[in-house]
Amino acid sequence: MSFLSLDNVAKAYAGVPALRRVTLTIEASEIHALMGENGAGKSTLIKILAGVVAPDAADIRIDGKPVDIGSPKEAHRLGFRFIHQEFNVVPALSVAENIFMGRRYPLRGGVLVNWRTLNATAREALEKLGITHIDPRQKMARLSPGDQMLVRISSAFLSEPDAPARLYVMDEPTAALTRDESERLFRVLRQIRADGGSVLYVSHRLDEVMALCDRATVMRDGATIDTGRMADITHDDLVALMIGRKAGEAYPAPGTAPTSALALEVRGLAAGRLQPTSFELKRGEILGIAGLSGAGQRELVRALFGDLPLRGGSALLDGKPYRPFSPAAAWKAGVAYVPRERRSEGLMLSRPIFENITLAQLKRQSLGGSFLTPRAEQRFATSLGADVRLRSTGPRQLAGQLSGGNQQKVVFAKALSGNPKLLLLDEPTRGVDVGAKFDIYTIIRDMTQKGMAVILVSSDLPELIGMCDRIAVMRDGAIAEIVTAEGLGEDDLLNRCYGRAPLAA
Amino acid sequence: MNIATLLRRYGTLIGFALILGFFWFNLPDSFMTARNWLNITQQLSMLTVVASGMTIVMVMGDFDLSVGSAASLSGIVAGVLFAAGYPIWAAVGVALLGGLVGGAINGVLVSFIGILPFVATLAMLTILSGAAFVLSGGKTISGAAIPADFSNFARGGIPLGEIGGLAVMLPNLTIVALAVVFAVWVLLEQTTFGRRLYAIGGNVEAAYLSGVAVRRLKLIAFSLTGLSAAGAGLMYASRVASANPTQGSGLMLNAIAAVFLGMTMSEQGVPRILATVIGVLILGVLDNGLTQMSVDSYIRQVLVGAIILLAVAASSFSKRLRR
Repeated sequence: MSFLSLDNVAKAYAGVPALRRVTLTIEASEIHALMGENGAGKSTLIKILAGVVAPDAADIRIDGKPVDIGSPKEAHRLGFRFIHQEFNVVPALSVAENIFMGRRYPLRGGVLVNWRTLNATAREALEKLGITHIDPRQKMARLSPGDQMLVRISSAFLSEPDAPARLYVMDEPTAALTRDESERLFRVLRQIRADGGSVLYVSHRLDEVMALCDRATVMRDGATIDTGRMADITHDDLVALMIGRKAGEAYPAPGTAPTSALALEVRGLAAGRLQPTSFELKRGEILGIAGLSGAGQRELVRALFGDLPLRGGSALLDGKPYRPFSPAAAWKAGVAYVPRERRSEGLMLSRPIFENITLAQLKRQSLGGSFLTPRAEQRFATSLGADVRLRSTGPRQLAGQLSGGNQQKVVFAKALSGNPKLLLLDEPTRGVDVGAKFDIYTIIRDMTQKGMAVILVSSDLPELIGMCDRIAVMRDGAIAEIVTAEGLGEDDLLNRCYGRAPLAA
Repeated sequence: MNIATLLRRYGTLIGFALILGFFWFNLPDSFMTARNWLNITQQLSMLTVVASGMTIVMVMGDFDLSVGSAASLSGIVAGVLFAAGYPIWAAVGVALLGGLVGGAINGVLVSFIGILPFVATLAMLTILSGAAFVLSGGKTISGAAIPADFSNFARGGIPLGEIGGLAVMLPNLTIVALAVVFAVWVLLEQTTFGRRLYAIGGNVEAAYLSGVAVRRLKLIAFSLTGLSAAGAGLMYASRVASANPTQGSGLMLNAIAAVFLGMTMSEQGVPRILATVIGVLILGVLDNGLTQMSVDSYIRQVLVGAIILLAVAASSFSKRLRR
């Protein structure tokens, strides 16, 4: 009998299925890989296991007995431990307090916090990962991002006698870790397996997964496709299973090649953590920005958008000096931006669609720049909405009532509202369903055909390879190299992000 | 549209109608008369002006606690200048300018220095209130110091005719309040300035990234709120023909309450100027009716507070049900 089995798990968001026909079994003493492209449904499945999302249907059993994971608390009681990609830390609290987040603090006499026990237990958890250089009493804010990740991981290894851990779910745990730190984590995971525990391991790094895991389950478009032993499967088979088709078909075909006219010339631009950076971008060209998280992608985009004060360098937009000191100046110069966090940075969810779309061009969409013309605005928004294939009940519908993909299309419509010369995209398809994704890719392509230059920041490597003409690889706050996207392998690109030589084929 | 939606959207209006019906029934001779209503609008004119200004900042999700003491100070400034022999236009101009500057200071503190509106405007409340006492020496400025032309303004109005042999007029103060409401309505509902304020209130980060000059707009909005407070202070001084360093103190909480009452009428819970006016009317009618029914003023306070709570609680409860 398996330790954990999931059968017929289904979940839909506002009618859009995120999961259908999901079957997953995890044995005791097993490291099980969960594989799949972005948007395949892995994170929804993990959220169901974590008790954060309630499935529409599910048959979940532990040791053969049906269980109902109604809440994160219940998931914890069942022995599930999670390391989320976007698990937040509280910078103002100490390392030990962060490790104990959501857990009961050890008490002295049932009233006062026993700080000594708290710190000692936290230190124990850190030492399981072989970490001795982090003091549990330190403030979280003083730690490097890598060390913060280690602290987050070690919180899963906190020993809790009243709810012993049985399953560790790790979502891209090594994304911010060095090689050595990753190796240490793997040793711990192998020890857990030897002690009878289970691990569900999610990673895009195939080499890592193939070396570490016993079995793999592959997901695609919300369904589990296959489960097999790692020893029986080759690297290429795994990729084929994940993608389900040849890479490239998920993206609209490129049109005519970019013209030779330069849209953007950047010379030695430096801002915040961004080291002096130079590159050129032609009209109609899509330049991808790849790199590990925090390699400076966000800083580059924000500097180009006037949201980060420049330390130095210069830029030419269509041959004219371009030095934005605010987002307002950037819009005015013909630069548009689709931010990473659609809900917190892109949209006013409680306002109608047309107000969201016209906001950046309100001056032009009004009488003399001062008086509103709502009817003309709505017509303008409706026509832009049609351009981006927006599905809504009309321009007066509230942005917050739209699905994620359609919300992102509103953000795109706003970005396109002024016919920009340069479009800055930061993770434009994150959390967007497959159909809307293709629509968005098509919009981007159409715009480049009209001569718009695009900078596309993405952590989705197939997206970069499928969409871009060239890809700039960022490492440690600077562009390390710029490569041609055509014919580039996903592994090759990933290795370049890590700064390793491409593997010999 | 089902009953729940109906109640959610019009609950506050229905409540207002019930209050009107209650007073009409209990005060059949005096409540629903033109004279009483013109009187109510005059009594409410100062609050209307302050609440209109308050609506401007609350649209952005901020608020201004200093409006009451700004109103007091502006009355005192005008009074001191009157006493020193300055002409009416100069005294009124300086008082209004003072309100604008005080509001601008609030705006700088909130948007450029980044202090929370609660803290910044609370400090300004204390500073402006202290300044009013210093300028006036803690005394009420009245009598011959106040020019007759100034105090006559509040007593004047446009004659509307006669009812029962007594002249009835539309008070000047009511006209001023209506003009301010109209101006704020145009500003908030018809201009790009207003749209951008609503954008800031909807999502300040998204607005900023969409090119909205958040800091400059906040500065202007707070300045306008300060200006409206100063205007209300002058209206008050004209009405009572004197200036007292505490006479604006009741305005701030009532203005915020009126905007909150108005927000219960909006599906998204955003302040709208016309809804604010309804909020002001609810407060004013309650005050007027309960006074006429000789309800003790302390009990009146308890009742008014309870009604505000009831309206806001019902509104947020019905919104929670919808999720």
